[in-house]
Amino acid sequence: MTQEVNIPLTDLRRSQPRFSGFEAGHRACLGCGEALAARLVTESAGPDVMYANATGCLEVFTTAWPDSAWRVPWMHSLFANAAAIGAGMEAAMKAQGKSTRVIAMGGDGGTFDIGFQALSGMLERGHNVLYVCFDNEAYMNTGIQRSSSTPHAAATTTSPAGRESMGKRHMKKDIVSIVAAHHIPYAATASVAYPSDIHKKVRRALAIDGPTFLHIHTPCPLGWGHDGALTIEIARLAVQTGLFPVIELERGGVAGAMPIRKLRPVTDYLGLQSRFRHLFADSSRAKEELEHLQALADHNIELYGLRGEEKIDALDSEGADTVRRGGMRWA
Amino acid sequence: MGVKITRGSFARPGTSLQFDTGSWRVQRPDHLHAAAPCHSACPAGEDAQAWLALVEEERFREAWENLITANPLPAITGRVCHHPCETACNRGGYDEAIAIHHVERFLGDMALQEGWAYPQVQVPDTAPEIAVVGSGPAGCSAAYHLAQRGYRVQLFEALPVAGGLLRSAIPPYRLPSKVVENELDRLLANGIRFMPGQRLGRDFSLEELQASFSAVFLGVGTQRSREWSIDGATPRDLHVGLSLLKEWMDVGVIPCWSSVAIVGAGNTAIDLARVLKLAGVPEVHIISHKAIPGPGVPAQDAMPAILREIEQGLEEGVTIHEHRGVQRLILRGEQVVGLELVHMKKLADANGRLKRVAFEGTESMLHVEQVIPAIGQVVDPDGIRALLGQRSYFRVDDWGQFPDQPKLFSGGDARGDRGTVSEAVGDGRRAALAIDHMLREEAGEVPENKTTPIPLEQLNLNYYEPAPRPEVQLLDVAKRSGFDEIESGLTHKQATGEGQRCFSCGNCLACDNCWTLCPDVAVLKTQDVAADGSHYVFDYGYCKGCGLCARECPSGYIVMRDEV
Repeated sequence: MTQEVNIPLTDLRRSQPRFSGFEAGHRACLGCGEALAARLVTESAGPDVMYANATGCLEVFTTAWPDSAWRVPWMHSLFANAAAIGAGMEAAMKAQGKSTRVIAMGGDGGTFDIGFQALSGMLERGHNVLYVCFDNEAYMNTGIQRSSSTPHAAATTTSPAGRESMGKRHMKKDIVSIVAAHHIPYAATASVAYPSDIHKKVRRALAIDGPTFLHIHTPCPLGWGHDGALTIEIARLAVQTGLFPVIELERGGVAGAMPIRKLRPVTDYLGLQSRFRHLFADSSRAKEELEHLQALADHNIELYGLRGEEKIDALDSEGADTVRRGGMRWA
Repeated sequence: MGVKITRGSFARPGTSLQFDTGSWRVQRPDHLHAAAPCHSACPAGEDAQAWLALVEEERFREAWENLITANPLPAITGRVCHHPCETACNRGGYDEAIAIHHVERFLGDMALQEGWAYPQVQVPDTAPEIAVVGSGPAGCSAAYHLAQRGYRVQLFEALPVAGGLLRSAIPPYRLPSKVVENELDRLLANGIRFMPGQRLGRDFSLEELQASFSAVFLGVGTQRSREWSIDGATPRDLHVGLSLLKEWMDVGVIPCWSSVAIVGAGNTAIDLARVLKLAGVPEVHIISHKAIPGPGVPAQDAMPAILREIEQGLEEGVTIHEHRGVQRLILRGEQVVGLELVHMKKLADANGRLKRVAFEGTESMLHVEQVIPAIGQVVDPDGIRALLGQRSYFRVDDWGQFPDQPKLFSGGDARGDRGTVSEAVGDGRRAALAIDHMLREEAGEVPENKTTPIPLEQLNLNYYEPAPRPEVQLLDVAKRSGFDEIESGLTHKQATGEGQRCFSCGNCLACDNCWTLCPDVAVLKTQDVAADGSHYVFDYGYCKGCGLCARECPSGYIVMRDEV
């Protein structure tokens, strides 16, 4: 079937009914969860925002010199100091009496590990900055090395699965609790499978005066070992199994959680990704690790009260993105 | 100030657009309007998905106009159809099927109430003229579709009024006569020359028609009852199901026996049983070779009557003897006093052919005062003996065309492999398409959308919410007279609710999923409907072909194709 439109695509692209801060032509892999999450963040934040972006996939694939996929003021920082650069931008805006908001962004490596100190400092000094972490659970840009965000038992190039190892030995760092422990007004997690929720949380964070934090789970087809078409499916399963709780914390206390209407076993999530393939081997260690991951999910479900009610909740993991004819449902 | 920004340290906004990431692609997404299962399953050829979408937006008139492009009688079929669309509905595999026939009736009733007219067609006096014989559902549908395509039509009817079995065989508690009257009045007022009181073989001959018309459609139905006897024995006062029903519909009274057995498993058997029961016959039995349809009952073993009618009949106290046959009439003189029944089933013989087997030792006796066969009807051969030959029904192709008679068509009950109003409406439409194709001397096959329905597995159910099917009010069993309609219609809100529940299988919902979820900003939203019927276009300059949009499209409207 041939598609015909009356106006040229370039004109159509310019007249889309949403704010376009992030353009096509970037070099992300097929089905990149981070690229999608970044676009969702920019379109919900709007035009009066400037960005500080830590080194990482997002920085690399959006700014292959001399091009930029950004239509908003955007600055590349070191791996370690996106939060510090963001804090500086915010201070500069304040000094000039401008109301332009600042968003600092980094991957899980630039947030959980390398940029952690700068992040903690920014939070502690109370800068009016939203820090967004795009969590794809390893150093994907440099070749899939494990980070402190890599989940337990996932295989990476530096935590390979083999005779002596069942993937990463350690646990995933609970970054959102650590961030919330800075007693900041707002810290939340979100998943790229729930775009309305991301929109809502970005706007909520930007409405708050003070440091805020948004942690977005973004599958990486290359690093996790799945087809690019499955990105949303996998992100959704991470939520529906309880492995990635979608929560909000205000001043360190839990203020909300997306309930799970139909709990799925963790194997539904793990089985779609080759980084967990070794867990499906016929061995007692593999079985034990599967049970371990299920127990981690069960722990989250209990800790945050993720088990939904029997009745239909429009904002639970099944209802959050129910389609409506005519669109414009994504809050 | 001393800060100098060198050209190497910045880029201009949105300049990545000059980079063609579309060249990476090995597969491309494409919109594909696949048929919804309801569309494929509709005997009349309606696309329920299309008109349900309009119902949801409360564009009722447009919904009705879409519906009548296939079926001019929605207020009738919405009441009597066995709705295979609902059996096929993908939503049935999720929670409950869409109540399509209820919405159809809702639109049909609204059209009558509001007095909506069919599209006006200017028919020149020089247009070819077609003869349609019989004004039942097949004939009316053929006449309507021919008139809509710009032909002059003469519609011949033996009786003084149009309607055929709509008036003579379907009881008013299912289909009120007012509804039939209103639908047919509109249909006949639509450029069709109606010729009542004209009987084939008495007032005109087939040869005369063939000589003076460009084409002839025979929607004559089945007017003669099958011969029936048990080993040559019949009751002295033999009544036949369909004529008894006709009599009751015409004069409103029916003989009141104390107990009756009806032999048959079709709609006539059920209708007659219910009429007798409602008229006060204490004991009404149906003797059926087949089983009551239900889970685990294979289609070929299920009674052909509409399940809803069977259920309502049971509710009213009709007794159904499944898998039973009449082995002997128990007569005292020529008076029936009972039947000898036996368990029966159709089983495959050594050659794999199905054969009815009676099981010895299962005989039982049923006391009844009357036995009435309702075992089916055949074409009345008057006036068409040569055409019919030794057969009971016409032998025609899919389009209703007779072999070796290019200008002669038939459809509906007269072709023998039908049996419902909706199938007859579909036959009339297909014959009209074929006649049009023939008279335009177009080459090749008659164009029709042969459609493969999209299966449930191709939808993404994560984006739908469970919602119950609406229930309509039924008249209490105690209040049923036989003349008042039993089922009531949907409310306005219930009808639009069904539009919302519709999965929109295989068609664009305009839900924004592809537009929202594309990581490469390669799906663009259009203000108007795009040429392919969607609300989005793919920008193949940037689409990398990841397939995410196809995977997350709730209605299965996006497919991935290999790049050549």
